[in-house]
Amino acid sequence: MKVPDSPFLTAKKPVLEALLRKLLDRYPFASILAQDASQKSCAVSRRLTNVSMGGRFSARGFVVKVFDGEHWSEHSFSHISEETVPELLEQISATAAMSKAVLPDGIRERVYAAPKSEKLTFHGGTDYEVDPDEVGDGQIVARLTALRDRGLAVSDKLLDCQANLVWQKNHKLYLAPDRELEQNVLWTTGAVLTVAAKGQEIKMSRKSFSALGGAELMDRMDAGVEDVARVTLELLDSQPLTPGEYECVCTPEVTGMIVHEAFGHGVEMDMFVKKRALAEKYVGEYVASPLVTMHDGAAAVPETGSYFFDDEGTMAQDTVIIEKGVLRRGISDYLSAMTLGTAPTGNGRRESYRRKAYTRMTNTWFEAGSDKVEDMIASVKDGLLLCEPSSGMEDPKNWGIQCMVSYAREIKDGRLTGRIFSPIVLTGYVPDLLKSITMMSDGLELGGGGMCGKGYKEWVKVSDGGPWIKARIRLG
Amino acid sequence: MIDRIKKALEAEEIGTWAVNETRSESAEVFFVKKNMDLKRRTDLTDWSVSVYRTMETEGGKLLGSSSVPVYPGMEDAELRQTLREAYFAASFAGNRYYDLIEGQREPHEPSKSAFAHMTCEEAARIMGSALFASDTEDGVFVNSAEIFAIKRSCRVVNSRGVDVSWDACEVRGEYVVQCVEGRDVETYHSFAYGEPNTEELRRDVEKSLRETRDRAAASEPPKAGTYRVILTGDHVEELLSYYVARSGAGMVYQHYSDYKPGDPVQGTDITGDRLTVELVGVEPFDAEGIRLTDRTLMENGELKLLHGGARFASYLGIEPTGTYRAIRVPTGSTPLEELKREPYLQPVTFSDFQMDPMSGHFAGEIRLAYLFDGHTVTPVTGGSINGNLMEAQKTMRFSQERYVSSTYTGPCAVSLENVPVAGK
Repeated sequence: MKVPDSPFLTAKKPVLEALLRKLLDRYPFASILAQDASQKSCAVSRRLTNVSMGGRFSARGFVVKVFDGEHWSEHSFSHISEETVPELLEQISATAAMSKAVLPDGIRERVYAAPKSEKLTFHGGTDYEVDPDEVGDGQIVARLTALRDRGLAVSDKLLDCQANLVWQKNHKLYLAPDRELEQNVLWTTGAVLTVAAKGQEIKMSRKSFSALGGAELMDRMDAGVEDVARVTLELLDSQPLTPGEYECVCTPEVTGMIVHEAFGHGVEMDMFVKKRALAEKYVGEYVASPLVTMHDGAAAVPETGSYFFDDEGTMAQDTVIIEKGVLRRGISDYLSAMTLGTAPTGNGRRESYRRKAYTRMTNTWFEAGSDKVEDMIASVKDGLLLCEPSSGMEDPKNWGIQCMVSYAREIKDGRLTGRIFSPIVLTGYVPDLLKSITMMSDGLELGGGGMCGKGYKEWVKVSDGGPWIKARIRLG
Repeated sequence: MIDRIKKALEAEEIGTWAVNETRSESAEVFFVKKNMDLKRRTDLTDWSVSVYRTMETEGGKLLGSSSVPVYPGMEDAELRQTLREAYFAASFAGNRYYDLIEGQREPHEPSKSAFAHMTCEEAARIMGSALFASDTEDGVFVNSAEIFAIKRSCRVVNSRGVDVSWDACEVRGEYVVQCVEGRDVETYHSFAYGEPNTEELRRDVEKSLRETRDRAAASEPPKAGTYRVILTGDHVEELLSYYVARSGAGMVYQHYSDYKPGDPVQGTDITGDRLTVELVGVEPFDAEGIRLTDRTLMENGELKLLHGGARFASYLGIEPTGTYRAIRVPTGSTPLEELKREPYLQPVTFSDFQMDPMSGHFAGEIRLAYLFDGHTVTPVTGGSINGNLMEAQKTMRFSQERYVSSTYTGPCAVSLENVPVAGK
């Protein structure tokens, strides 16, 4: 089934069209993005049950973007009606004219060329099998409670088992002189997390699930809760790792973190505009092993980073960033592409209508290779299997790596020994890591359980992943 | 709208509820080098309604709750439908019963900030001028910056009489400094001010320019091993966030922390300074409408207080303190110069420095650190620190000098012994 239209946006479309016409009487270009997004979540733990119909990804409002012939401005607002259009017009005009009021001493305002684009219309929704809202909170909470109970039953050493389901219906309408685009997107994520204590120290393990779809995801969540619990218990006996460079096999989740954090942020082309990304100088050169081909695209795979058009009215794409080890191109929003003289790639994304659009990743991954996972582990004489990414931070300028994973399993003479180390910090230089990849598995997995920030803010939903990879990595 | 929400709640026979209203306006400016790339304004209003339903079960009385956003322009039918759905959802979220905060209508509390007397545009301009004031060189410069000048007006109303409102102002932002002399490097910095502290921002940028030049001169990571590490500025606040998190009533109720007042939470064989922490209310009330008064969280390494909102405070049988987001820590007795007499590694910028309150681990990849071997100070870059506060807390020594941000007032530096460092 397709996600249906938002009645709110359908009702507001005539007044938004009227506002756009009036704006175009004043300015060479204007666009309006209207958003009606609802997030809902159910979460169960040993002592708490929560149901929320709000959250970071709930938003209803509008952002107008205006080009006055030289400069761009934006005005975000929560409410529009026929009566408020005259007042809004004045507010939007005041925003477009506020340069003098905000320009610091010694700073100029950048002059842009007039935007160009082709006429385009689109109206569509993503597919789903089961609408979580129709399943109902009672049934969702019951299934999460059953998962929690199964997790807790593994051992009385477990302090807690949490299970949650989160979904967002995100409706957008984009209007511009040459564009009339409407999309309806539903994603759902779930997670199971178990907790145990070793004295004051709390150890946790989690497994995330995600889909561009609905409550059918819960069927996948049924598998593996006991494994998550057992890993948490193993972590109670984990040891600190001696820092050094190791031969490592990475699970697809860890590959995804390396793809996204270590390399993906560095090819966001708003960073090229600011001369903040080393990648700009390496287009056309080897930055990774010839085994590596990397994609980003909201139209490339069905995952939580998928959509039909971005927040600047550019249609979603599938961008090949690295092809057989050679950096081919980056990803960009509209204004960055204008500045760089390149084509926008459909990566202009906002946290919500309240925020500015930046170049952002969507679904980002390495293509699969041809190796079997068991052969990859068997090929390691003395190394580690890296599991369960926990966090990462980009360093586009210097390609430094800061990624953390929850634990690593020791591999000796091609076999897992049962020893486990935690926590693990990945560090080093990105191309060194990517060029050291010698094996990639023949299957790949993407996961969209987390969010991506630009620095420390501007959270958007993304997915990442790839195959299992074997590489040399500096660990702390 | 609050009156309309109240009428809708009454019509739906929802007797226990809380409404949070936030109206905000902002001026936002985005710079690439010395060009303003984009200007934005926002004019936003949001309401969040929490509805509660009491349920009698064999196990006792439960309180179910659910929260839902309400938007301007919602018709009455949609508003009632939204609240009805939230109330229904609350029936599946039954938890131990507790009472909402009881209160009364209190006078509106305007912001005392000097920003309150300016427009958002003016606030953005003066802070922008301060940010670029020291940006006068070609070799090291502000690469890009973002400034957000925000005024918020908040109101909390609930079914037990709470009706409080207040205004808040803030200018926050971030900037990246680039050095193109030597290695081409950058450092990232963020700021948040409740007052127009233009001189402080100017000084911070000046320091950032100096540090970025040092990063350009640094080429090697430190050798792998253990070091006496000196953390400074925001990293001290991040480190100490461990104690605030572990003493949170929610964490204690869920048995993720066993903290209780009177515990020597810093350990028993302390060789460094004993820690004292105060919780500080930056705004007059929290999101439940609880008045935030400054409270002593820890004194000389001993926990004095568990803190939290109505729900978890009720579960633990303690006074609801509200939810805080700022701390004050007395400065130490050791001048920074003295902390630096013996060999040390002082990371000043990380890719991201994180304190995990669950495990006690703190870690970060080093973008710039100063390494003192007893004779010479050398800038180093790369590698990472990966320590555990449960071990390091006994050796903490705090600087005499102070550091102030919108959420922290306290020592500008802390020294920690034997911290593992991954390097060359």
